[in-house]
Amino acid sequence: MASPHSHPPDDRHLCSDHGGEYPTVWDLPHVPLGLKQEWLGLETRRHFLGQGVKALGWAGLATLLGRSAPKLLANTAPVRGPALSPHFAPKAKRAIYLFMAGSPSQFETWDYKPALADMFNHDLPESVRGGQTLTGMTASQARFPIAPSIYKFAQHGKSGRWVSELFPHTAKLSDDLCVLKSLHTDAINHEPAILQLTTGNMFPGRPSIGSWLSYGLGAANEELPTFVVMTSKMPHRTNVQALSNRLWSSGFLSPEHAAVTLRAGNDPVLFLNNPSGVESDLRRTMIDGVNDLNRQLFDRVGDPEINARISQYEMAFRMQTSVPELADFSNEPPSTWELYGPRAKEPGTFAYNCLMARRLAERGVLCTQIFLRSWDQHTNLPKNIRLMAEDSDQPTYALVTDLKRRGLLDDTLVIWGGEFGRTVYSQGTLSAATYGRDHHPRCFSMWMAGGGVKPGIAYGETDDFSYNIVKDPVHIRDLHATILNQFGLDHTKLTFKHQGLDQKLTGVVPAKVIHDILA
Amino acid sequence: MTSWPDRCALRASVFFLALLSAARAEDTFFAKRIAPVLEQNCTACHGDKKQKGKLRLDRFADLIRGGESGVVVKPGDLKGSELFRRITLPHDDDEFMPSEGKPPLQPDEVKVLELWIAAGASEELPLSAIAGAPAPARPKPPAPPLAPDWRPRAAQIAQLETALGLRLVPRSAISTDGLILRTASAPLRCDDAALARLASVADLIVEAELARTKITDAGLAALAACPNLRALDLTRTAVTSAGLATLTRLKKIESLNLTSTNVEAAVVTQLRALPTLKRLWTFDTPAAPPN
Repeated sequence: MASPHSHPPDDRHLCSDHGGEYPTVWDLPHVPLGLKQEWLGLETRRHFLGQGVKALGWAGLATLLGRSAPKLLANTAPVRGPALSPHFAPKAKRAIYLFMAGSPSQFETWDYKPALADMFNHDLPESVRGGQTLTGMTASQARFPIAPSIYKFAQHGKSGRWVSELFPHTAKLSDDLCVLKSLHTDAINHEPAILQLTTGNMFPGRPSIGSWLSYGLGAANEELPTFVVMTSKMPHRTNVQALSNRLWSSGFLSPEHAAVTLRAGNDPVLFLNNPSGVESDLRRTMIDGVNDLNRQLFDRVGDPEINARISQYEMAFRMQTSVPELADFSNEPPSTWELYGPRAKEPGTFAYNCLMARRLAERGVLCTQIFLRSWDQHTNLPKNIRLMAEDSDQPTYALVTDLKRRGLLDDTLVIWGGEFGRTVYSQGTLSAATYGRDHHPRCFSMWMAGGGVKPGIAYGETDDFSYNIVKDPVHIRDLHATILNQFGLDHTKLTFKHQGLDQKLTGVVPAKVIHDILA
Repeated sequence: MTSWPDRCALRASVFFLALLSAARAEDTFFAKRIAPVLEQNCTACHGDKKQKGKLRLDRFADLIRGGESGVVVKPGDLKGSELFRRITLPHDDDEFMPSEGKPPLQPDEVKVLELWIAAGASEELPLSAIAGAPAPARPKPPAPPLAPDWRPRAAQIAQLETALGLRLVPRSAISTDGLILRTASAPLRCDDAALARLASVADLIVEAELARTKITDAGLAALAACPNLRALDLTRTAVTSAGLATLTRLKKIESLNLTSTNVEAAVVTQLRALPTLKRLWTFDTPAAPPN
C-alpha cells in the first residue's frame, strides 16, 4: 500500500476560511469515486441531521404536506421558515419581551415590603444574609443599613395587587398581570445575568430565546424577520451597561434565527435601501447572481449555512418592501397617540418601540425584544428610578392595553423584567431622601401578561427583606421552560445537537414549567 | 397410553404452569410497576441501544447483574442499592440520575422502587404482595379531535398553498388539532375567490388568520362553511354586518376578532348570543362601546 507521503499534497493555497477554495474529498487522489459520493451523501446527511429533531420532524411533515422537504438539500432557493409544528397546541403565537436592563429594584416596583418601614437604617440581620458573598461594590461596607422603599404602594384592581406609585399606568393592568416575585438567577453581575436571561447560559455563544422560538416554530410572516430587537433611548444615563448582539444571536443555530435589530431613525435597518442609481431590478439581478454562486457552493459542500446565507439575502430583499410599511406610523389613528403618549412619535424612545412592537405583533412577528437600559441604581435610586418609570410606565401600559383591545393579548406573551434583583440594604449612605441598592441574584420580580398566563395573580414569595425566597422559587430556566411551553414547545424536546450534546435553552439542569401560573 | 386420571393431572399441571407463567409475565410487581418506571426514566441510556456505564435496566437479569461500578440493586438493602442512591441525590449532584437534565423521577416512582427493593427486589413477587404502593399515574386521556386528520389530504393542502399564496399550517404535531389558515406573509393575495377554493379542506380549518386581507362579505360564506372553525380574525377587512350575520352558522366558534371593521352593534349582539363564543373584539368599529 502506498504511503500517504508518496503523493505530494495539492500545492494550491489552503485557505480554510474561504469555503470552496480548499481541497475537498473530491480533490483527493486514489479515492474511488463511489466512496467520494458516499462521503458527500453522508456529509450532507450529517448537516441535515444536525438540524436536530425538529428539522427532522419538519422534514417528515413537509414530505407529507408535499412541500419539497429536501429543500435544505435541493438546488433551489430555500423558502424561509417552513411551517414547523409545535409539540402541542400553543397558547401564545408571539412574545414581546420588555427587558429592563440594569435591573429595576423589586422594592420600589413589585415586591411590597411594608414591614421594612419600621426598620429604616437598622442593620440587616446576619442570619438573613447567611454569609452570602457580596459584590465588590458593597462587600467592604461597614454596615448594611436597611432601606425601605421611599415610594408608596396601593392596592389596585379586583386582584388587590400592591403596586408602586411609580407605575400609575401599569397599576391599571393589575388584573391582567401575573406578577412573579420569586425569580432567582446564578449571576450577580450584569453581563452573565443578562446572558442567562436572554440565552439560558452565562457564557456567550448560545442562541437567545427568540432564536429558539424561531428555530422551533418558523415564520408566520415570511416578509419580516421572526425575531426583532430594539434598544431604547434612555431618559437618563447612569451605570449604563453595553448591550451586544450576543444577547440576540442565534448561537449555534442557523444565522437566520438571529434577531434583526431595528434602529431609531429614518433607516430602521441599515443598508437596506438601494444606493442611489441602483434600481430594484438591478438589485434583484445581483442577488440572483450571488445566490447562484452560493448554490453552486452548496452543491459541492452541502453546508446548510450556505442556504442560511441565501435566505438572508432574500429576507433583506423582502424587507426592502416590508420594513418601510412597518415603520410608517402615518396610518395610526389618534387613539394610538393618546394611548402611547406623544413620545411615541420620536423614533427610538421606549414609547415608539412599544408601538412598533404592537405593529410587529399584528404582522405576525414571532418574538420582539425591547431593551431599556439604565435601571442600575447603585446610588441615587429614588431619583433615577422615577425617571425610568416615568419614561416607561405609560408605554408599557399602552402596549398591553392596545394588544388587549385589538384581540392580540390572548396569544401574545408579554414579559417585563430585568436580569436580577437588588439589595434591601443601602449601597453607600442611607438618608431619608436617598439611597442606593446593589445587585441581588437571590430574588427578583418580573411580570407576564397574555399568552395563556393566568391574569391577576402573584406567584412566589420572599422573606420580609426580599432577600431570600420562602415560597415557589422560579429559576431562569423554569421561566424559559414556561415560555416555551406557552408556544407549544416542550423544553426537553426543543434541542439542537452541538458539541456532542442535545443543547437546549434550559440547559442540562432539570427545569420545570410553572403550571400554577398557566390559565 | 396414559390413563384418564393421568391425563387429567397432566392437563391440570399444564394449566397451572400456564397460570404461573402468565402471572410471571403479567401480574408481577416488577412487570407492572418497576419495568414501566425504568422504561420511562432509565432505559434510553441503560437499555438495548445504549448501555452507559455498561448497565442495562430493560431486563431483570441485567438489572440484578449491575454495571461497571458493580451491583446497583441489593435485594432488601435500600442503602446498599446504588440505583436508589443515585435517583434520590439532590438534583444538582453530579451523580444524580437521570443525568443530563432529564426530568427526575416522580415521588411516586421513587416510592415504588423503594418498596420493591425493600421487599426483596424479586422478579416473581406478585403485584398484590406490596400493599400500599402508589398507583401508577393514569395516562392523560387524548385530547378530543378538533378536526379530521389532515394528513391524508396533505397533497391537496400543498397544492392549495402554492396556488393561493396562503398557508395551511398544522396547529400542532397532533394531526387532529386542525390547521391554521395563515395569510400574514401576503394578506393582499387572500381574497374572496381564494377562500372559495378552500371548500375541500374547510373541515380542517380550526383557526383563520385573515387580518388585513381583501376578503369581503362574499368571502364570509366560505368561512361559515368551515364546521370546525374556532378562531377567526377579520381585523381591518371590508366585511360588514350583512356578511357577518352568516357567521352565526359557525357552531364551534370561540373567538372572533372584528377590530377595525364596519361591524354594527345589532349584529354584534346577534354574534354574542352564539353559545360557544367566548371572546369577541370590536375595537375601532361602529359597534365599539364609547370610551
